[in-house]
Parts: sequence; structure tokens; C-alpha cells
Amino acid sequence: MSVTVHVSGHLKPFTKGEVEMELLGEFETVKDALASLWKSHPALRDRVLTETGEIRQHVNIFAGSDDVKRLKGLATKLNSHELHIFNAVSGG
Amino acid sequence: MPQKEILLLAGTAKGLFILRDGGVGKWSIDGPHFAGLAVYAAFFDQRKGRNEMWAAPASWHFGAELRKSTDMGATWDNPDNRRIKMPAATKKSLENIWQIAPGADADSLYVGVAPAALFESHDRGDTWNLNKGLWSHPHRKKWNPGFGGLCLHTIVTDPKNANDIKIAISTGGVYQTVDGGQKWNVTNTGVKAYFMPNQYPEFGQCVHKIARHPRKKKTFFLQNHHGVYRSDDGATTWKEIEDGLPSNFGFGLTVSDAGSVFIVPLQADAQRFTCEGKLRVYRSRDEGKSWQPLTKGLPQKNAYEVILRDAVASTGNNIFFGTKNGKLFGSSNDGDSWKMIEGSLPEICCVKAYTI
Repeated sequence: MSVTVHVSGHLKPFTKGEVEMELLGEFETVKDALASLWKSHPALRDRVLTETGEIRQHVNIFAGSDDVKRLKGLATKLNSHELHIFNAVSGG
Repeated sequence: MPQKEILLLAGTAKGLFILRDGGVGKWSIDGPHFAGLAVYAAFFDQRKGRNEMWAAPASWHFGAELRKSTDMGATWDNPDNRRIKMPAATKKSLENIWQIAPGADADSLYVGVAPAALFESHDRGDTWNLNKGLWSHPHRKKWNPGFGGLCLHTIVTDPKNANDIKIAISTGGVYQTVDGGQKWNVTNTGVKAYFMPNQYPEFGQCVHKIARHPRKKKTFFLQNHHGVYRSDDGATTWKEIEDGLPSNFGFGLTVSDAGSVFIVPLQADAQRFTCEGKLRVYRSRDEGKSWQPLTKGLPQKNAYEVILRDAVASTGNNIFFGTKNGKLFGSSNDGDSWKMIEGSLPEICCVKAYTI
């Protein structure tokens, strides 16, 4: 199934201005879908994940309406056609 | 002959400001670059006639980057693949970039980061590698983070000897190499760590800044987390030089071309603002034997300022410092008098000064 990835406007510098990207293929987990996203938009990877492969503390990823940090993180089964990547409401 | 200009890079909690003074006391200001991002490190590389500006904007959300401009900040590159990344084998992630420094070789650059580590490039910043000698030092796992994280915040290189590099870590203290970074020796002898059971440990000191004398190669100065010191033996052993200061606590330190040492003492560890509500820079012209408070042009009433570790800088005998309240001050006469250059910048994290 295809997945549509929506990113917040703050990430536009790393997507060549796109805020909505279509991923074609079969993706069992969030991690699988993101691996496809990194191939088409490589600059996103370092901004969304840390070097150790974790979702950054102040970045949230939703599969449909589910916050994957509250499920199994990147290993969360992908049961939605929609992924959302937001910067968290944080800062000073 | 064209008049020399002074370039200031003021990194703030909300971006980088580029200031220039053509020598008539009027500053232009350009910024914020990287608006909204904290800039704790910046560097202007004039070696080999190039004009390459480096800055390390850090996003709370998306992490820290090392970015370069070749047109005086008009545009900045933004590599897809970040320049500075902790290698997978370290099982660590980059928290912040604290320092960008030139090596003796004109194509070499060094970067200090949190978690405490040193990165090096020998091709003008195109490729970077973690310094493995320091990362594998047996002390590393015993270093503890200070309030700003476990950071390698100071890099002092010898322009005539590529093998001589000195660094400072909070908290770890001073380490140095004489073989270009393969082996690192700890050199904190005489530096106090009042917050540890053994107050003079081999390592673990919270050294805030070190700087070299412009002409005496073996003379260094050190602002500690409580304590001001001088070394006469190449930053190996240290002697207290704090008589005459209102407090031995502070962060930033610079040494002018005249050999004058400048610090801004802060009241006690737990308070961390300028003593007695007076903004006083202290200068020593005899390598720490005596200190003079410098007040001309600086507020002496209700001035509760904090000056961070990289926010004191000099080029020639022009001295600059920035405060967490966003005030940027400068002196063009080795500290005799001061003027406020800007008064409402965001919190100033670093100030870098260059004659161009």
C-alpha cells in the first residue's frame, strides 16, 4: 500500500520545499516506511533521527493519529496510509 | 592602504549576528542568520586568503549542524548528510557543537562537541573524523556533565606546531597532545575541584576556559569553576592568580595582543551574575599578579549580567564581550573604556573577533 508522509513546514529546507510525499511499496513498520523516505529525501534522516537511530526527543511521528513514541517507536506496525512528522511543541 | 576592518560573529540563542566596523566606530549588523536556532560556535577562516565563515546552529528539534558560508554570510550551505556525526561505534548522538578552531596546517580544522569529543578535518572541512585518541582515553567514561552538558568547549592549537593541541572539557579539565592527537595527557595539576572529595584530583575539574599568551608560548591562563590560574610550563601545572578579584568564579577569558588578560568575575557558583550588580571587566597587565577593574562605559548599578564561556574575545587590542541579557560591548583601547555595540540581542552564547 502507498503511504503519504506529511511533514511540518520547519522541515521544508530538507525536502526541497515539499510537505507531502508519497511512498510506494509495502511497509510493515514505521521504520520500513521511513527507510524509503530517507532514500527519496536523504536530508530528512539526520534531522528526524539521532545517530543511534532514535526519534529525536523533540520530534514526534504519528502513524495515522497514533503517536508512535507511545507504541513501539519505529518498530510500530504500520496500519495507516498516513505518516505525520512534526516538531514537538517545545523550545525557549 | 585600505583600513582594516573588525568582524564580529555573535552567536546567540536565537541565531548568528555578523557585525562589521570599518574603523570609525560605527557597526553594521547583519542577522539573525539561522533565526531561532542557538549558535554556540562560530569561526572565520582567513588562512590562505580565503574568507570562509563557519557556524554551528543547533535546533532543539532537529539537532546541531556545522554550516559554511563562502560569501560572508549571504548564503550558507546545508549538506544533506551532516558533517559532524558521532560514529555508530560510539553508540552516542551529537548534542551540540561548542567550538570551531583552526589547526596549524592551513587546511586543518577542529571541532569540540558534546558529548565530550574532538572532531578533525584536514581538507578545509570537507570531511571530518572523530579523534580516536581522545575518545579512547581511559578517563572519558568517568567525565561528568556540567550544567551545559558534557562538553569539549575549548581548543587551543599552536600555529607553529600541528602536533600541539590543548583542550578543555567540563567536567574533565585540561588535556593535551604533543603528537597530533594520538595520545592525550591530563594536565590539571594545581587546579581545584571543590565539588569533589579529593579537591585536587588528576581529572574531573570543571575548567571553563583556557587561553594562550600571544607571545609567551608556554604561558596560559585558565578560568575555572571557582579559580583563576596561570601556567608557565605549557598548560601542565597551574598556579592561582586570583588576588584582587571580587570573585574567582566566571566563564570567559581572553588575552589581547598586548598580553593583557581579561575576565568578568561572577558572584558565586549558585548566583552567577556580575558581583554587586556592577558590570566590571577585570584586566591584568602583569600575568595575574594584580587586577584592575575596568568600568568606564559599563553600567555600575543594577547590572546583573552573565557572560558565558565563549562570549569574551579579542583581536589585537580590541576586546569584546556579550551577555546573556543580549548586550554586546567593545573596547578599542585594551579595555580602558567600553561602548555598548548592541543592547537587545538574544542571549549571547559566543563572540568571535577578527581583524580582516
